[in-house]
Amino acid sequence: MTTKVAKSGKGLGIGKLRSSVLQGHSIYLIPAWLLLVAVALVPLLYSLAGSFTNASLLNTQSDFVGFDNYLQLFRDSRFVDSLLNTLLISALSILVQMPIGFGLAVLLNRQLRGTAFFRTSLIMPILLTPVAVGLMWRLMMNVDNGVIAGTLRMFGLAPIDWLGDRAVALWSIVFVDSWQNTPFVMLLILAGLQNLPDGPIEAARVDGAGTFRLYRHIILPILSPVALVVLMIRVVESIKLFDIIYILTSGGPGTATQNISLLDFRFGFTFMQTSLAAALGILIAIGMMPIFRLWKRANQE
Amino acid sequence: MKVSLFGRIASYIILSCATLFALFPIYWTFITSLRDRVDIFAQVPVFFGGNLSFDNWASVAGDPVFLSALLTTIMVTVIATALTVFAGTLAAYAIARSPKFVGRKSFSSWLIVIRAVPGVVLAVPLYQIVVGAGLYDNPIALAICYAAINLPFSVWLMVGFIQGIPVQIEESARIDGANQFKIFTKVLLPLLKSGLGATTIFVAMLCWNEFLMPLILADQSAKTLPVYVAGFVTSQTINYGGMAAAACLCIVPIAIITIAVQKQLVSGLSLGAVKD
Repeated sequence: MTTKVAKSGKGLGIGKLRSSVLQGHSIYLIPAWLLLVAVALVPLLYSLAGSFTNASLLNTQSDFVGFDNYLQLFRDSRFVDSLLNTLLISALSILVQMPIGFGLAVLLNRQLRGTAFFRTSLIMPILLTPVAVGLMWRLMMNVDNGVIAGTLRMFGLAPIDWLGDRAVALWSIVFVDSWQNTPFVMLLILAGLQNLPDGPIEAARVDGAGTFRLYRHIILPILSPVALVVLMIRVVESIKLFDIIYILTSGGPGTATQNISLLDFRFGFTFMQTSLAAALGILIAIGMMPIFRLWKRANQE
Repeated sequence: MKVSLFGRIASYIILSCATLFALFPIYWTFITSLRDRVDIFAQVPVFFGGNLSFDNWASVAGDPVFLSALLTTIMVTVIATALTVFAGTLAAYAIARSPKFVGRKSFSSWLIVIRAVPGVVLAVPLYQIVVGAGLYDNPIALAICYAAINLPFSVWLMVGFIQGIPVQIEESARIDGANQFKIFTKVLLPLLKSGLGATTIFVAMLCWNEFLMPLILADQSAKTLPVYVAGFVTSQTINYGGMAAAACLCIVPIAIITIAVQKQLVSGLSLGAVKD
């Protein structure tokens, strides 16, 4: 009896090995592959092909034009401006969201009474529809009858046109994005803090390390993989930012808040320059390459 | 960790301010949605009370376009969530249970691409493809797009949940003579119930919130709630009460779900970040 089980167990091992090579687990991926091919691979190839033509939604015939669209983009100040806006929004939102999110996580990790209530309330913004978030803040940031302007007026201060002033609008975008997404940083860092091993922290405490040194030399190094993942996700999301800008400013005033996604949208659907939009899409995808690789490495660890 | 009295008081003050800051916009939108034009345009903000009624809600809810957008959003969300959880769970099973097989690496790469690339990059060509195929303004086409862009979340989440189940359970079922299909459906799936629940809820929320795809791939008959709600700012005269009511109607289901199944959403948010 025992030998039989052992034998069949051994046979199973070999069988499993063979099955994963021969019949393959690959078939389990078929439905997922179909989705990826239809919505990512084919569209990207379609764009790649289209980017070498002069096709637009206005003319039906299209000719091969080589790299003309790409060259045109590099000469287009709108492209450079939107690229700068994208990088600026990304950098600023990281600088706002990472420290505040980290700080809130540390406070929540103190396990004070009422932590559950604070946590639930604080994560509410992440879950809201971005379009609704845009509307909420548009309501509040309105210079004529918004609650922020009204409150400033109550204190005798001049209201600021948060969304209509060139110098302020981009900051307002970063502000709203941070309102919605800082809790994401908080939540992941909090999870990281709660999974810290007790050993090194206890040891450091016994050695007389203060809270600051404990964070600086023990907790931060252990947390750094989690923090890097959070950072990467926030960088990607801030580059992708579309809904909130579309609702708050539509890229305006002028092109002050037009990021690369919005410009691509304008090329494709406002100016109907399909091939230019395709070329920009390909450039964006190529520009994201380092992030793809970074993410892949993060996945493997 | 021991926290001094001063530290505790400071923590409470900061956390309270942060909470107020997080919740005030939601409160303000809600209270605005209950007000009439006179109060909304008051020069000095009225923070509490006033003339409150559900008139704005009623006028939005009575709009046939709102109702059709609501139905479309529910339908697209259900179909897309079912598709992506189905495809994602199958893929996650293979990824969690065998370290190497044909196409595993490139699959992981494409998941990252679709997760990280800005939606517009895909939506521009998708628009042409969908129009060419006669599927413009079609809820099913929309659902397929939603399913694909949310696939990374469902795969990464499910990989984590499946890895949490000891492989020995499947092996002993195999020894008992169960075939692969039976092992998957009768042994694994029942154990994955809570994981599937968390994934479903999280992905459904993302589908509900999706804006870019329906903005580009749909017009009237497949218009979704976020696009309908966004219409309030693009119209010439902004109807603030209606806009606030529409925003509320859009987030009410999420607020209810958040309160009801907070744990699942939180695990979705944190576990869905990255996974091989």
